[in-house]
Amino acid sequence: MIFKVNQFTFTNTNKRVQTEIYLLVDIFYCCTQSTLKRNIQLKNKLNIFLLVGFLLALVLTIWVYYQTTNRIGDITFDKDIDNSEFKICNEDRIPQYYAVGTNYQNGEKAIKKELSELINNLNFKNSGFITYRFIVNCKGEVGSFRVKTIDSVLKENVFDSQKIKQLQKSIEKLKQWNAGKRKDETLDSYYVLNFKIQNNKITDIF
Amino acid sequence: MKIFIKIIKVIFTILLFAYSIAIIYLIALAPKEKRFKIAEHSQGFYLSQTMFDILIFQNANYSDAYFEKSVAFNKRGEYAKGFELLDKAVKLDPKLHLGYRGWMKLRKLRDYENALRDFNKLDSLTPNFVDSPWGEDIDFLRGECYYGKKNYKKAIELFNRNIKNQKEDWADIHTFVYLGLCEYELGNYKKAISEFKRGLKQSENLCEAHFGIAKSYKELGQMDKAKEFLLKAEENIAYKRDDVYNEFLNEIYLSEILEFKQQLNK
Repeated sequence: MIFKVNQFTFTNTNKRVQTEIYLLVDIFYCCTQSTLKRNIQLKNKLNIFLLVGFLLALVLTIWVYYQTTNRIGDITFDKDIDNSEFKICNEDRIPQYYAVGTNYQNGEKAIKKELSELINNLNFKNSGFITYRFIVNCKGEVGSFRVKTIDSVLKENVFDSQKIKQLQKSIEKLKQWNAGKRKDETLDSYYVLNFKIQNNKITDIF
Repeated sequence: MKIFIKIIKVIFTILLFAYSIAIIYLIALAPKEKRFKIAEHSQGFYLSQTMFDILIFQNANYSDAYFEKSVAFNKRGEYAKGFELLDKAVKLDPKLHLGYRGWMKLRKLRDYENALRDFNKLDSLTPNFVDSPWGEDIDFLRGECYYGKKNYKKAIELFNRNIKNQKEDWADIHTFVYLGLCEYELGNYKKAISEFKRGLKQSENLCEAHFGIAKSYKELGQMDKAKEFLLKAEENIAYKRDDVYNEFLNEIYLSEILEFKQQLNK
């Protein structure tokens, strides 16, 4: 009996210990699992942060690149309106006329003289300004024309498109352009030429 | 090894976020004056215009941002957009921006009427003060406007007022050139010569004055004198008044001098 009791006791004790061990193992398992889970969660979070940080930096870099490589008034080739024979020497570097000293030989006064016949013959219905922006390439040739028009209170308006084309053709015939220069190197550059229209006539070119 | 990778990941995450935050800070959060300077120095780029847009969005009354944003448009011949922005700047702070708008209308568009309107309005806002739109005497600029309008008598009045404002020795040397040109246009050739000579007292290299005197002497029938001053004009052409942006109303070219020389030698 004693034995039995003892056995029982032993058995009982054994079972208790076993239960306690199971409990401990269970607790240990649980703890390990939660740490593991936490670790996995932490690892995932870090990866997510890294990914978000990378994507944000990438998007911002692309945006800044776009914003710092494009300028107001840049002209891109348009096969529908531009002459494909007009060649630009360096498409990656087209400064403004005032940065590289692009000019017409003897100035706009000379342009006025050369276009005097057209100036006298062209009649317009409204007043304002016709502004041509174009490229004077490194050889002193002109092309890639774009036009902006404003009225006498400097708001956008519309002039007869045929006359605008006629004026553009007359600019294309001007042959004494001095290409812009920087350190003895001739460069392509953007130029701006304004026609002032008053009382139906061109009254000034500058 | 795992810890090492983990550390690398943490460092990269911090660097990438710091990089992004730095960009966002410089573009949208830094003090407005600092961002204005950055945008001003990258004039014409989309980034510059976007930064001005953000500044305007955050500070609706920041007139300088409208003004500075207009510059790139006007320099590239997009006047409708440029002047729309300048109009907003003027509306917010007329005293600060009217002069520049008038100056732009005169020098960029030769729009004399509208330029005069701006100069006159500015003058009325600042009584007993001589304004200097974009660093030039307001009466010199108004004189140029009237010269452009071919109203030579009024131009003379304004150029003389400029001399009175600035005193003879300090007035813009081209005031005397314009005075000479106005008298020449009115047929007062002797008076024209004396006005041109006032300019020559400031500088012997004033080729526009030499050329003007030569033309006046020709009208007076004194060909020897005309040739003498024409030669001086030719010798000093390197000192002529010019500007990288636009041709001046009184700008002369060597070709004109040579053409006139041929006429004199006929």
